[in-house]
Amino acid sequence: MPQPAALGDRVDEHEGWVLPTGEEAVDEVQRARDVAEERKLVAAAVDGSSRAFEALYRRHAARTYALCLRMTGQAATAEDCTQDAFVQAWRHLPRFETRSSFGTWLHRIAVNVVLQQVRRRRESLGAADSVEREVAEVLEDRHAADPAQSRDLEAAITSLPPGARHVLVLVGIYGHTHEEAADMLGIAVGTCKAQLHRARALLGARLDADAGGAR
Amino acid sequence: MTNRDERRDAASLGETRLDAWLRDLPQGVEPSRDLWPAIEARLEPRARRWAPSWAWQAAAAVLLVAGSSLLTATLLDDDGTSGKMAATPGATVAAPADVSAAAVPANYAAGSQLDPEYLAARRQLTAMLNERIANLPDSTRAKLEQNLAEMRRAAEQINAALAEQPGDPLLQDLLLKTYQDELAVLANVNQLTNALGSSASDATKAESKRIDL
Repeated sequence: MPQPAALGDRVDEHEGWVLPTGEEAVDEVQRARDVAEERKLVAAAVDGSSRAFEALYRRHAARTYALCLRMTGQAATAEDCTQDAFVQAWRHLPRFETRSSFGTWLHRIAVNVVLQQVRRRRESLGAADSVEREVAEVLEDRHAADPAQSRDLEAAITSLPPGARHVLVLVGIYGHTHEEAADMLGIAVGTCKAQLHRARALLGARLDADAGGAR
Repeated sequence: MTNRDERRDAASLGETRLDAWLRDLPQGVEPSRDLWPAIEARLEPRARRWAPSWAWQAAAAVLLVAGSSLLTATLLDDDGTSGKMAATPGATVAAPADVSAAAVPANYAAGSQLDPEYLAARRQLTAMLNERIANLPDSTRAKLEQNLAEMRRAAEQINAALAEQPGDPLLQDLLLKTYQDELAVLANVNQLTNALGSSASDATKAESKRIDL
């Protein structure tokens, strides 16, 4: 059985292992520093420091907002959800266990807030064309590479039914496992996998249709 | 797509181009406005955690006890020098509250023992105090009872903290100081009531002698 190598080792493609290059090793060290720094901020925030919590907000606001935006499909609702998520995080921070990542924990809270919002506003959410455009426009400016393709992709994601979209966002974009996503969404792992399959199929069909229309 | 992503693609079997596109989407998007001021306005002040605060609470309790002891000593001294003894021979005094009833057993954290001599002295002084506290003026007695109650409350708090942080040297010092203060107050009160009791007794004897003459 192949063994993982130390940071900075060469790539051993014959064994199928992808090992970090020197540049990636530096990234790993930086990530370790970030984690240590974040733990200090969390500890200070638990002790009541709003300055430390603001620093945590600055680190995670963009990712949390993007998650909320992709899941709700509405910029204003996503802002509300982001605010609620951070307020709830502050409230429950003393119970946060530092063994896990603050970002993952915050994601979990944000997903919960979004689901509550979705339940409250179910009738007004959906795949309306105006919503697709709104999200696509919000996201377009942030896509550095190939904005047209990214915009199409974001619009296609927003057009998905909520269940499929939520799974695609969590697993496909944010890299959560099916187990994590299922737990966050309160669904069975099998349902999560089925929703991802459905989302991929719908997304592929949608992108093909757009490409066909463009031709 | 970055080199790293390309290598990851090469290593991952069955990954589709769609998955790669999804992964390349930006994970973060800045909100159109700063949401922090609205969030900050909604943050409830957090009560400080017990762990860092016990020492301050205990220290505050000891400071309070020290202040109370000083005040008690001053009050008792004033009463003694000005001769405002409430109990003169034949005078009726309201029954005092049993000071020992409020006293908690002296602990020194789990697994620790106070000096048996200290415990014996404490028991003896408390018993003497209960006998003689009736001789003190009402205001002094009330103040004394209040201060002793505060000392015992402080000792309870420190003992509770020691149960969570056994062996903490600061807490052990604070607890010892509290017990020493209590002992000093008990000793002072008993000494004072002894002195006042002797003076009153001498005066009664002198009065009897004068009548006999």
